[in-house]
Amino acid sequence: MIAVFVVLACMTLLSAFGVVISRSVVHSALFMAGAFLGVAGFYVMLHSPALAALQVLIYVGAVTVVILFGIMFTQKPQARRFRVILNRQVWGGFVVAAGIAAILIYVFLEQDWGGTSPGHGPRLVAQLGRILVGTGGAPQIFGLLFEGSSVLLLVATVAAIVISRRRPEQPTERGGE
Amino acid sequence: MSEGVIPLQAYLIVAALMFALGAWGVTIRRNAVVVFMCVELMINAVNLTLVAFSDYLPKAHGAGSGYAVVVIAIAAAEVAVGLAIVIAVFRTRRTVNIDEIDSMKG
Repeated sequence: MIAVFVVLACMTLLSAFGVVISRSVVHSALFMAGAFLGVAGFYVMLHSPALAALQVLIYVGAVTVVILFGIMFTQKPQARRFRVILNRQVWGGFVVAAGIAAILIYVFLEQDWGGTSPGHGPRLVAQLGRILVGTGGAPQIFGLLFEGSSVLLLVATVAAIVISRRRPEQPTERGGE
Repeated sequence: MSEGVIPLQAYLIVAALMFALGAWGVTIRRNAVVVFMCVELMINAVNLTLVAFSDYLPKAHGAGSGYAVVVIAIAAAEVAVGLAIVIAVFRTRRTVNIDEIDSMKG
């Protein structure tokens, strides 16, 4: 169990580091898929196999592919030097991020979480479904959140089409595409 | 706590480090698409804490997993709209370097 945890933690954190520091944008996207897979493994360890499946489908599948599409449309010739991909705030940003990590870890370790023991998550898909519609002990607001997020997804889909559509009266700037 | 059981804090620390790495990337990268990826990393870190709490806290009744599903849906919507904006910006500005995109006027 501990070995699995260490392997998953290393995979997730090294992949996340790779996203930040990788010189190729495509490599960043693939590192991001690795980090998402590590998080999916954590979900399995946390007794949420349904969420792990959602994670693999939506993040490793859909989000990575959409981001690769975005790279495909906006890619320039590869940057060879870190000076090109990183701005001047590298170490300032590192200090800020380390401060965030330190504060979060301090709070997580100092806070008394009460009696914690693993195994209380919604292991069955039926349990997760009951939570999502606001029955079965979970807060009833989930019914509203579920409906709201479905409306949000519809609006976001329409908005994405409207924003990225090439307008017919607007001549394209790139010659041979 | 018996031997071999991973404490809740271990998951929280991994999530905190992942969140900080994502924040670092958002701060230092120049490419808007990579900034999006780092935002996704931060969202995933928060999801990890939510699922960990849902599994470890007996009185939560698994509410964290429900929140995680909602967060995943909203993150998917954010990626769709965000990349549409990036592509629209690239079409007018010919760049996705966020240091050069400093004007609100198209």
